[in-house]
Amino acid sequence: MGPVIDARQLSHEYPDGTTAIRNITLTIEEGERVAVIGANGSGKSTLQLALGGLIDTSTGTVEYFEETTDAEDVRDRLGVLLQDPDDYLFNTTVREDLEYGPAQLGMPRQAAARRIERLADRLGLSGLLDRAPFRLSGGEKQRAAVASVLTFDPDVLLLDEPLGAVDDRYRERILELMTAHEGTVVLFTPSPDLVPEVADRVILVGQNGSAVADGPVREILTDGSLLRDHGLRPPTTVQLFDGILDADEVPLTVSEARKYLSREMR
Amino acid sequence: MTGVVGRSVEAITGALRSVFAAERIAASDGFLQRRDPRASLCAVAGLALAVMITRTLAVTLLLGAVTVALARLSKVPLRRLLARSAVVPLTSAFIVLPQAVLLPGDVLVEAFGIAVTDAGVSYVVLFTLRVGTGVALLSLIVVTTRFSSVIAAMKALRVPVALVWVIAVTYRYLFLFFDELQRLVLARNSRTAGRSTVRGGWRDVKRIAGTFLLRTIDRGERVGRGMRARGGARPPSPYDRTRTVDGCDYALVAFAAATVIGSWVIRWGL
Repeated sequence: MGPVIDARQLSHEYPDGTTAIRNITLTIEEGERVAVIGANGSGKSTLQLALGGLIDTSTGTVEYFEETTDAEDVRDRLGVLLQDPDDYLFNTTVREDLEYGPAQLGMPRQAAARRIERLADRLGLSGLLDRAPFRLSGGEKQRAAVASVLTFDPDVLLLDEPLGAVDDRYRERILELMTAHEGTVVLFTPSPDLVPEVADRVILVGQNGSAVADGPVREILTDGSLLRDHGLRPPTTVQLFDGILDADEVPLTVSEARKYLSREMR
Repeated sequence: MTGVVGRSVEAITGALRSVFAAERIAASDGFLQRRDPRASLCAVAGLALAVMITRTLAVTLLLGAVTVALARLSKVPLRRLLARSAVVPLTSAFIVLPQAVLLPGDVLVEAFGIAVTDAGVSYVVLFTLRVGTGVALLSLIVVTTRFSSVIAAMKALRVPVALVWVIAVTYRYLFLFFDELQRLVLARNSRTAGRSTVRGGWRDVKRIAGTFLLRTIDRGERVGRGMRARGGARPPSPYDRTRTVDGCDYALVAFAAATVIGSWVIRWGL
């Protein structure tokens, strides 16, 4: 197992002079579950575009699968989901959007059709396949966009806020799909609550666009002062048990908190 | 924004709706919908070529009747087809209207020293009908065949990749353009009270024009990234939606070919 993404000294400045990311170096190993967290405007989305090879950064390089620095060479192995589903759904029907990636990337039609059917069923899109994407609700668009990135079964998923407008039922299903994904998952989110459900490792992007912390989920998410310094709060359960339990015992998720409480209340 | 801009955007939105309603027509079970897209494309292109070749009113009317028959067989509402196809021929008629008095011929009507000739009127009528029939044929293929099927058929027929690519991207960005305009106007409407005057409407146009351009460029870039993220940097490659080519497909293409030859013979002889 080697690195699937090896980014060196990435910086990016937009034409209006805004520096979005600053000197970020990171390596993501095959099969890792990583969450990139940061406050609004910290540069998470720019970092995602840079790692996905969708912008030419001002400085730095990204190497994919120890093979190439050109993302187009490995486009079929990278699943990059953009933050706004309206940027992602540009075909005349949902079905065409789901077929777009597999067709462009040379996936056999039958295999794509089976995968699309399964994903559409899982994400409640079966009845929406012949609808125009721009006629869908926010949550439906989000689900269609998530399905679109999963249809061609990429090795690495780079997902920018994939649960934005999704209701609880489909939130769970998307999380299950992310967990079941056999490759690498990199989630970009401003919500620390979501992180323990998906990731083993956290990269914290500070408000100046640099990576200020990189480590195991528990180490980063239980460091309240670190998170607050960079515009975030620890997960709700961590806040709840702050000062009551040690950092290595604090439940990170609601299910962990339930287990802890039921044990203690017996 | 209730003035001229608001009404214009409503009209554009209406056009968008009709395009997506067309997707429903494409999904219905009609004559052209049952054809292999390659056969439909070849046949409609052939009929359009026959219209381009002809200079005879009777042949043009016959081809118009064929277009109407195809529309009826394909369950395309004639009113919708007419609405989609009317703008271009009416604009063309306006442009060639001076020919009614410029072309020499027998005088039909004379007023204020201007004579309308029979040759001039025939020219304007024929030109308008030819344009109208051609546009109606193209509309017919658009409303009866899914866009991705048209693109797949063009690829299968070995239309140059660059041309297929330009058509595919233009089609997508056209909707993007209107979609962005609609969002912008909705955002303004949500913070605007009362009815605006014509002058107010134009003032709104001035205000939103620059923002609209910037937002469209920005949205275009982001959609471009969305396309690249799923292999959009490669030539268009929709799944082939061809079916088994049957007797009706061959008959349709043969009919179109015969029409082209007939139109050629009537115009230039053997």
